[in-house]
Amino acid sequence: MSEGDVDLRVFADYDRDVVESVDVAVVGSGPGGAVAAKELTDAGLRVALIEEGPPFTPREYRVDGGLSMARTMREGGLRATVGTVMPTMQAICLGGGSLVNSAICNRAPDFVLERWCERFALKQTTAADLAPHYDAVGEYLGISATPENVQGRRNLLFRDGCRALGIDCEPIARNVRGCRGSGECFTGCRSRAKQSMDITYVPDALRGGATVLTSARVEVVRTSGRRATGVAGHIVAPFSGRPSHRFRVDANAVVLAAGCMATPVLLARSGDLANRSGQVGRNLQFHPGVAAMGVFSERVNPQFGATQGYQSKHFLRDGFKLETLWAPPPVLAVRMPGSGAALKQRLAAVPFAAIWDAIGSCNRSVGRVVARRGSIDPRLEWRLHPEDAPILAQALFTLARIFFAAGARSVLPGVHGIPEELHSPEEARILGTHPIRPGDLVLGGNHAFCTTRMHGDPAQGVVDELGRCHDFDNLYVADSGVFPQCPSVNPMWTVMALARRTALAVAAAH
Amino acid sequence: MFAALTAALVVYALVRVFAGYPAAQQPAQALRRRELALVSAVADALLPPGGAIPESGREADVAGYVDRLVAASQPRQRALMRALFFLFEHATLFFPAPGGLRGLRRFSALDVSAREAVLERWRTSRLFPRRLVFTSLRALCTLGYFASPGVLRSLHLAPYAIDTPLCQADLWYPPIGAPRASLRRTRADLTPPSGGTPLALDAPLLAGYGEPGA
Repeated sequence: MSEGDVDLRVFADYDRDVVESVDVAVVGSGPGGAVAAKELTDAGLRVALIEEGPPFTPREYRVDGGLSMARTMREGGLRATVGTVMPTMQAICLGGGSLVNSAICNRAPDFVLERWCERFALKQTTAADLAPHYDAVGEYLGISATPENVQGRRNLLFRDGCRALGIDCEPIARNVRGCRGSGECFTGCRSRAKQSMDITYVPDALRGGATVLTSARVEVVRTSGRRATGVAGHIVAPFSGRPSHRFRVDANAVVLAAGCMATPVLLARSGDLANRSGQVGRNLQFHPGVAAMGVFSERVNPQFGATQGYQSKHFLRDGFKLETLWAPPPVLAVRMPGSGAALKQRLAAVPFAAIWDAIGSCNRSVGRVVARRGSIDPRLEWRLHPEDAPILAQALFTLARIFFAAGARSVLPGVHGIPEELHSPEEARILGTHPIRPGDLVLGGNHAFCTTRMHGDPAQGVVDELGRCHDFDNLYVADSGVFPQCPSVNPMWTVMALARRTALAVAAAH
Repeated sequence: MFAALTAALVVYALVRVFAGYPAAQQPAQALRRRELALVSAVADALLPPGGAIPESGREADVAGYVDRLVAASQPRQRALMRALFFLFEHATLFFPAPGGLRGLRRFSALDVSAREAVLERWRTSRLFPRRLVFTSLRALCTLGYFASPGVLRSLHLAPYAIDTPLCQADLWYPPIGAPRASLRRTRADLTPPSGGTPLALDAPLLAGYGEPGA
């Protein structure tokens, strides 16, 4: 097959309205949609993969954090929750979030899956049930532990600090081949080492005969009785979102993988679909994240090393996971205290600093996704529960202890109301004793879940265990919205495993 | 007579609030004159010259960067950023800066020490929304500051030059905005994938980030 034989369409290729007829329409090309499209194509079905964003290649990446976010993120990377204000992001590009995340791959812990089965009337979602799907995705993407030669000092200091305190830690497993330690995961991997969906599953779906429509914004799911009959929307210009031609894809089955912040909006705009349970858009959960910066006497050179190379799952049952972090300096600077000369002093310390973060399992903190009038962007209502704030404070305290155990001379916890700089583990105790309110924390929420949750009881959930909407015979969801609760670890691998299971179910049923 | 005096006072107040901004040194893509003045004023106070990093916010062209970022943003985000600038610029007319009547001016008309005092008040406020406004404004300025090659060079944080392997997807994905027919590459152009050789700390920097003239 020559290079031109695949059916990929980009914005400049559309010169008229588009009408396609396929077996399965897959909406969204992130980890859920891309896996589903490839598996369905492998099963011999005619597939249309529909993505609102354009394909990016490294020449389109911007190493500048702000411009990169403005180009690859919905709402220019400025999306935030209301209630408890917390920035959160959703990518808009071929490959979705896999293009601009740090490639962390964790299986959902056994105790989490057991809890899901127990509380949400699920029978086929144990670790054993999901193992073949995790294995297949892991093998395909080459998921493996981050090698030591690209860890960099920033990640290894975390390891050293954990070991000194007897805290379990491990190199992070990632979907990466040939990492060079550039620390540029969030702005796009110029080494092409990250195995993002746009260079793995999507090309394989194309080779298998899938039609891939980029710059195509799905605005409605078309239905007839209990059946979805396809999707429709507009071709939209990259970045501006300006609509041009119309498109319609007729299909025997529809898989929605637009992300847990967009899929419920699409269902709502299509006539409150799949919502007899009243759960569409509800139960929104995040892994709210907090970060601290430790300043060392030695030069850490934090720009070198895997973006996120080490993690600790030691405290998962206590409600938090710890991990190392690197991001473009301006993104890190958001958390730094001070202004004027004091701010510059702290910015100048970045080469001597490491930044580590914690993500919280905050099952009490829930919200909802609401369709915003006249817009396809969602309104995200979410509040950090007052009883969950201490979990994050405890996580920060633990990070501070690890920093000092690794030799840091000071720690900047970034919490309003306590000292901006802590100089010893004793000083850090204030993180565990001072009453911390949600508004005192600088939060970030990049994993979102549960807005179309699976539940064995159709009255309490939107989809069944295979991702099929209870109210429909052929409408499926394959993104993190189907999680019944937050998984306590980074969700991408679980999204892909569940999407694979859903795709096999679709192939078997259609 | 009273009406005329009132009208004159109102006109004077409006002129003091909304007019009298300096002309932009470079043509702006999106920001208005008053918005550029506000961002420059914040950058001057937030990132003054000298100190731990030689380059100032003004030298790093923070205002120019914010202008480009606003231009690249979607209409709703653009409106939100404009509202942020307007709010911050005029808040000192209701919550004056220190210095008596001299503090009762729009932010960009304050002297640098008064601006620093105002920024510090917003930063340390007990009210979360005020801190949020400060954090948002500071984030825009630090984004611009760290976009400066000079700042990144001085911290040894400038991005490296990286050889990007050419993979199958590059034969299919055209530059954004171009049709697929514009692609001229063939399989013969493909290069081996990354071998995983770690970058060296002294590796060459990305074009545009090296020392000027080097």
